[in-house]
Amino acid sequence: MSAVDVTRPRLGRQRYRFSLRRYILPALGIAIITAWCVVMVVAPSFATNPLTDVNVRERLRPPSSQHLFGTDELGRDVFGRVMMGARVTLPVGFIVVVLGGVIGVIYGGVAAYAGHRIEEAMMRIADLVLSFPALILAMAIATALGIGITNAIIAMVIVWWPQYARLSRSLVLTQRQQEYVHAAQAAGCRPMRTLFRHIFPNTLGSLVVLLTLDIGTAIITFAGLSFLGLGVRPPAAEWGSMVAAGRLLIDQWWVSGFPGLAIFTVVVAFNFVGDGIRDWLDPRFQ
Amino acid sequence: MMGRYMLARAIGTVLMAVAVTLPTFLIIHLVPADPVQAQLGDLASADPEIVQAFRARWGLDRPVWEQYVIFLNGLAHGDLGISIATRRAVLDDIRDYAPATFELATAAAFLAVLVGLPLGVLAAIKRDTWIDHLARVVSLIGLSTPTFWLAFIVLALFYGGLKIAPSPGQLDPGAVPPERVTGLFLVDSLLVGDLETFRSALAHLILPASVLAASIIGIITRTTRAGMLEALNQDYIRVAHAKGLPSHTVVLRHALRNALIPVLTLGGLAYAQLLSGAVMTETIFSWPGLGRYAFESAVALDFPAILGITLLVALIYLIINLLVDLSYAIIDPRVARQ
Amino acid sequence: MLATRWRTRISLILFAVIPLLLATLSGIASTTGSTAAQDDALVLGLDISDTRTLDPHRQFDYSPPITEHAIYETLVTMEPGDYENVTPLLATSWELADDGAAWVFHLRPDVKFVSGNPMTAEDVKFSFERLVNLKDNPASLAENLKSTEVVDANTVKLVMNDKAQPLLNILISPNFAIVDSKTVQEQGGTSAAGADTADTATAWLDAHSAGTGPYQLDSWDRNSQIVLTANPNYWRAPASYPRVVLRHMSDSAAQLLALQRGDIDAALNLTPEQLDSVASDTNIKIEKGTSLDFIYVTLTSNAEQSEPLSNTAARQAVAAAIDYDGIIDGFLGGNATRPPTFIPVGLAGITPELTAEIGYHQDTEKAKQLLADAGLADGFSFDLYYANASVVGVSYQNIVQKIQADLAGVGITVNLMPTDQTQLITEYRAGHLPSVITFWNPDAPEPCLWASASVERVATRVGWTPPDSLLNTVTEACGSSDEAKRNELYGEYQRELVDLANYIILAQPIYRVATRTSISDYQLTAAGWQVNLYDIKPAS
Repeated sequence: MSAVDVTRPRLGRQRYRFSLRRYILPALGIAIITAWCVVMVVAPSFATNPLTDVNVRERLRPPSSQHLFGTDELGRDVFGRVMMGARVTLPVGFIVVVLGGVIGVIYGGVAAYAGHRIEEAMMRIADLVLSFPALILAMAIATALGIGITNAIIAMVIVWWPQYARLSRSLVLTQRQQEYVHAAQAAGCRPMRTLFRHIFPNTLGSLVVLLTLDIGTAIITFAGLSFLGLGVRPPAAEWGSMVAAGRLLIDQWWVSGFPGLAIFTVVVAFNFVGDGIRDWLDPRFQ
Repeated sequence: MMGRYMLARAIGTVLMAVAVTLPTFLIIHLVPADPVQAQLGDLASADPEIVQAFRARWGLDRPVWEQYVIFLNGLAHGDLGISIATRRAVLDDIRDYAPATFELATAAAFLAVLVGLPLGVLAAIKRDTWIDHLARVVSLIGLSTPTFWLAFIVLALFYGGLKIAPSPGQLDPGAVPPERVTGLFLVDSLLVGDLETFRSALAHLILPASVLAASIIGIITRTTRAGMLEALNQDYIRVAHAKGLPSHTVVLRHALRNALIPVLTLGGLAYAQLLSGAVMTETIFSWPGLGRYAFESAVALDFPAILGITLLVALIYLIINLLVDLSYAIIDPRVARQ
Repeated sequence: MLATRWRTRISLILFAVIPLLLATLSGIASTTGSTAAQDDALVLGLDISDTRTLDPHRQFDYSPPITEHAIYETLVTMEPGDYENVTPLLATSWELADDGAAWVFHLRPDVKFVSGNPMTAEDVKFSFERLVNLKDNPASLAENLKSTEVVDANTVKLVMNDKAQPLLNILISPNFAIVDSKTVQEQGGTSAAGADTADTATAWLDAHSAGTGPYQLDSWDRNSQIVLTANPNYWRAPASYPRVVLRHMSDSAAQLLALQRGDIDAALNLTPEQLDSVASDTNIKIEKGTSLDFIYVTLTSNAEQSEPLSNTAARQAVAAAIDYDGIIDGFLGGNATRPPTFIPVGLAGITPELTAEIGYHQDTEKAKQLLADAGLADGFSFDLYYANASVVGVSYQNIVQKIQADLAGVGITVNLMPTDQTQLITEYRAGHLPSVITFWNPDAPEPCLWASASVERVATRVGWTPPDSLLNTVTEACGSSDEAKRNELYGEYQRELVDLANYIILAQPIYRVATRTSISDYQLTAAGWQVNLYDIKPAS
């Protein structure tokens, strides 16, 4: 296979676009996410009450027929907690990345399209938010708005959007000089219309891929805020916190291992789906 | 023209970095805690005279706006104040911990690019083959695994199990650090010709740098891959092939160049983030860096230290982003400023 | 075409492989050399990040005393395990004078500082006055010290402010270090009034030592290591190691690996689970020592903080609902004891038997009965605040979740409130929190310090005003020189505190340090400096 074949697949264009080979991984991703959504719904009927389940004499037991994923540092069933944890972790990871992403992408795109001083000013503001000490912000939010998951999400979104702004800006900058943009402008399109209708769809592929990369980081960061009272409070189950709690338990790998594996599957799933979306949007086949 | 732009940007950078200290300052004071009193032992905190003396030392008995003015005044004289937790000049603390973080971050970034970039290119060229899938999954491991996990697993494997890596820390226990010139062990040991220490410092650097690199390799690989795929679709690639250019030239010279823009953006951000310190990696590898210092300062609400670090981090982000913006112009003239 | 494709592939692969090879090679090359260099040094792996200064008259944190005790010495000391009697160190004998209002100490002759200067009463006077006049963290320890007088070159008199308040046991604290007054003054130190602004010797003392101890300070690299070298002028037999390295290792898992590799000789911060995992390693043994520290929960009496908790019966119900054995056995592997209330086991004649007799134990029926009698049969709820920290390897988060579960069993709802450490300390000390879990770490092994704290400053934090009768009992116990009488008074004090249930002591940990079998005589002490570095010697 010569290098030329890279850019021109063997199958006909139409058939390649819809070929199974191309979409097997995204399909797998969707399957995993769907499975977790089902888990989110049915979890309460499986999981035990975190208060009554505490049994220190049965703590740190390895996986067995009684406890599929073993017991944690308080003797609670890890399997049940992993299932319940999905109800918090999944939505939070998704929301933070989507909200932060949408805000950042629009901000950056507008800045890049506006150009000149406006772009400068907007990007500098983004830089400053990037360098703001996130932990202090989280503490202040906890003080001002109170504890809880919603406020944790707010704290995270505030810190999350600037990187997408920068990315979006850089992508829009490259697109701005393209032929089709000049064509749209010549045709009399208003700036916002050009931006949203023409430029963004061309950058969306890359953006989606990169957004999905961040879900794992978002989940772990969310867990890191719990020590300030932001996020879930014990004894509520949440994957990131479960992983952190089991950090020093080297021999008892199942305590952080299973929630960690759960996070991994979610990240992989979202990434495959992101890749699939990117491939779908590939302008070659428009 | 370029010179004026640079100068304006440089001045703007400094001003903006200082500007970010104001909201930071205000927000710190929002949190109901007395960092000075909290640093005193239980017994001393019950003695009002001692508490008062300490509070006065850090100006906590003055109104908030006056405290900020004092800070700005000190800043103008190059004085970042005294850390409440360490009782040392914040500048001295930063000078102690920044080089270690710089070494670690730079080594990690270097490794990440060295491995991640070719991997991304390869994944794009061999799209949808096993290489592509492997590269994507491998890059995901670093991004979905919490750093502290990765750090410990790497340490346990290479240090504990295989016994080929040295102990956590910048040097061996009891070893004398090289005489300080820059604070960077690798550089300082070379400057005095101490190859023994250089090798030791390098060996100690590899593991934590690899861990940090692993956490950002995913970004580099996937961004490169995505960018390459975009670039390889373009018409000019067909033209290049049609012209008969060898494929590796097409890939490296033309496609990669254009794919680099998002890589530089995100890579720059990742590097800036590493330069600001990585708490968990520094903890597990006993690396005396800024990450730990920043985290402890935040928890202790040690506002002189927090302000000093915020200033530093702001400068880091602004400078890195400036460099990245400049590099856009070099790589892709189409995005040069009008 | 084929050739270029392979060339690309190969060069790409090489890019990845070469750095890995380099890493491995330099790693191997480095490690083969490292163990040899360490053979002559004693290396401890511990978290020394709380070390802010090594100036003995300023430090007041958890880890500096290990070093301070090895490089400076005090007039008297205590042997590991016996926290009632002081033993001679720089003073060979002492007696009361002035009708019990002063102590006279006879100093050991022919003791030299590392500089070669002889230790005299002048140095004692200088040191103690510097401690007081620096007005730093530990100055309050010398509250009862009115003045230090030089009687002659080898005799010093310490005059107390109140002869009914203790002093002798407090003198063992490393803060009462005797420093070389000549050297310290040369470096800008002063002991005169106003020293808090005039003294500039601290920076020097952070990098050098001016003591009489078996070791001297060679270097301190912050958050990296403290290196000590043997003091050639030491008045006793020379130290067993030419060098001691206190290696900063902030992660207990990393300490575990380093201990197994032999890169450190002792790991001080291992968690109970990690200690279990090295139990079977034949190169490692575990040294234990009962501490005088404890983990405790406070319950407020202030109705504004918590209406239900202000009811004594409610607090007693909480105390009766907690599964103390579960906490100690489950989390600490049984490695803890438990006092009845605010004075630890091992002092004032307090034993676990006393706890069994007058202290708390789990009795859920009694708890429910107490609640019913108080009109709280449906239970109540309160907020329990804690910080994200661990003590003796157990995180507060685990302990509070256990308490939450225990109390839920009798109908009491505990709302767990994780809080930033600094906020917690501030709010707690200001008396704004209904319930807190925290740690008590003694200033010196003197029961009066605990008792008086519990009825004075800690009482204000829980909104409790102790009755005058109790205050008198404590004052009398503090001033009593008759041990039997003193212990009886403390007994009364304890009964009253247990009844009021403002402080619930959960565990008094038995610290465990894992050491390699190549070292011996690692004896833990609860006197404040964790271990006597001087005593440690290579195993025969």
